[in-house]
Amino acid sequence: MLSLREYFRLYFIIEAQYIKARMQYRVDFIISSIGMFFSSLATLGVFWVLFNSIPTLAGWTFMEMVFIYAFYMIAISPMQILFDQTWFLRYAVQQGTFLKYYFRPLNMMFYFMSERFDLKGLTQLALGIGLLIYASIQLGIAWSPLRLVLLFATLFGASLVLVSLAVSAGCSAFWITNSFPVLNLAWKLREFSPYPMNIFDGLFRFTFTFILPIGFIAFYPAQLFLRPDQVAPWVYLSPLVGILTFALTYWIWTKGVNGYSGTGS
Amino acid sequence: MRGYLALLRGSITIGLVYRVGFLFTIFGNILYMAVAFFLWQSIYQNTSTIHGLTFNETFIYVALGSTIFVLLKTYADWQIAHEIEDGTISIYLTKPVDYQLYALCLSLGSTLTNLAAITVPVLLMMVLVFRVNFPLGPGLLLFPVSLFMAFLISYFFDYATGLTAFYTESIWGIGTTKDILVSILAGALVPLQFFPDAIQKVLLLLPFQAVYYTPLMMITRPNQDWGTLLGMLGIQAFWTGVLFVATRLFYNQAIKVLRVAGG
Repeated sequence: MLSLREYFRLYFIIEAQYIKARMQYRVDFIISSIGMFFSSLATLGVFWVLFNSIPTLAGWTFMEMVFIYAFYMIAISPMQILFDQTWFLRYAVQQGTFLKYYFRPLNMMFYFMSERFDLKGLTQLALGIGLLIYASIQLGIAWSPLRLVLLFATLFGASLVLVSLAVSAGCSAFWITNSFPVLNLAWKLREFSPYPMNIFDGLFRFTFTFILPIGFIAFYPAQLFLRPDQVAPWVYLSPLVGILTFALTYWIWTKGVNGYSGTGS
Repeated sequence: MRGYLALLRGSITIGLVYRVGFLFTIFGNILYMAVAFFLWQSIYQNTSTIHGLTFNETFIYVALGSTIFVLLKTYADWQIAHEIEDGTISIYLTKPVDYQLYALCLSLGSTLTNLAAITVPVLLMMVLVFRVNFPLGPGLLLFPVSLFMAFLISYFFDYATGLTAFYTESIWGIGTTKDILVSILAGALVPLQFFPDAIQKVLLLLPFQAVYYTPLMMITRPNQDWGTLLGMLGIQAFWTGVLFVATRLFYNQAIKVLRVAGG
């Protein structure tokens, strides 16, 4: 088995080659980035339109929503950039090319996901960081070193929640082959994560907190910075939620991988 | 004509292969409706009408909007781009079929499948679970015609997007940009009444509103006078004609750059 450090080194080498190959298609990169720009800001555009008619949404101001949304954009970037290959799992399973991943002395999830590094996702990440800085200045959020550590920890956990949700949805390919509708559903759920959770009634809030924990992708962790004095103590556990859901997803992935027998061709 | 009907039938058969997928799409659609319900309920917390729309009207608009979105999402743009990229388009060039109509039949087949498998159950959910009261009026009679034209206009956007594959490989970027522009500018996510006045005026002059806003208003506000309703339908017909001709001209230009390697 390789050490963690060797994995990092390997990942760097693989992606450097991948990026070089992609850079042949410069126009594609530019157009994809434009597409990413619009799709990243779509829901924020909807909020902007809505706030023309209302002063606050369930008690949250527009600038607070911008902050939550910026947090969301950063939190969804690792899924977009590092785990985008999830969308292609169904083809690999269907066509039998997935078998090749069994024959290397590497962690299979690592090897599979390393096949793609989504450059356009960097646009989303950059936009998210820019918006987060802008909203923090507008809202007068004071960033102490401790707060910054908390920001990184919560972003790490939040991004793992989405990675878990989407990768588990993608893993359904091992059982039903065409995982596209399942992944699409996970993607739709993702879009609900910047909505204030207090607009929902008990059943939905429970579902989005404990069963499909999309509340932890943006709304709950963002509260730690927006209204730290009103936050329930359990919200501080949000990085843990990410780690737990990822462990569960890895278990599902292992189940799928162990049960896969190729296409027979 | 017989040939095109066969294509349509084939497309419906292909759509029916992925039946499990429908369940997830229906579930996703209902979930979206539930989220929209809570979102708009919180927006309407202290007021009964906003920009002249009641909560019931806005909810019908938004919930049906998401259903029509699923209905019109036939991935025709991806399909066409794929056929151009891998060269299968050359098969149709040697046959007596019109490519624009060929792809239209495939897209229509997929929409009809979605209509039966997704829209009908979702409409039932709206009435039974969300207790929506649909207002009655002549607009309901015109709705099917309006929806069909919305399908055509949406298809022409897809078709034009697919054809860009003649020039570039980045169909993802163009397709996504088109999807977002159409859904926001057409008022699929938020009724156009909620936009600032100046923007609203501009949006009503663009073809996008004919995809969502027009058919949705036929259902949300069916009891307007015939003049207004037929006027809306006329504008839709105008855009259908313009885009039909425009995409045909685009195809005639784009086909000139086609080079298919090997065979």
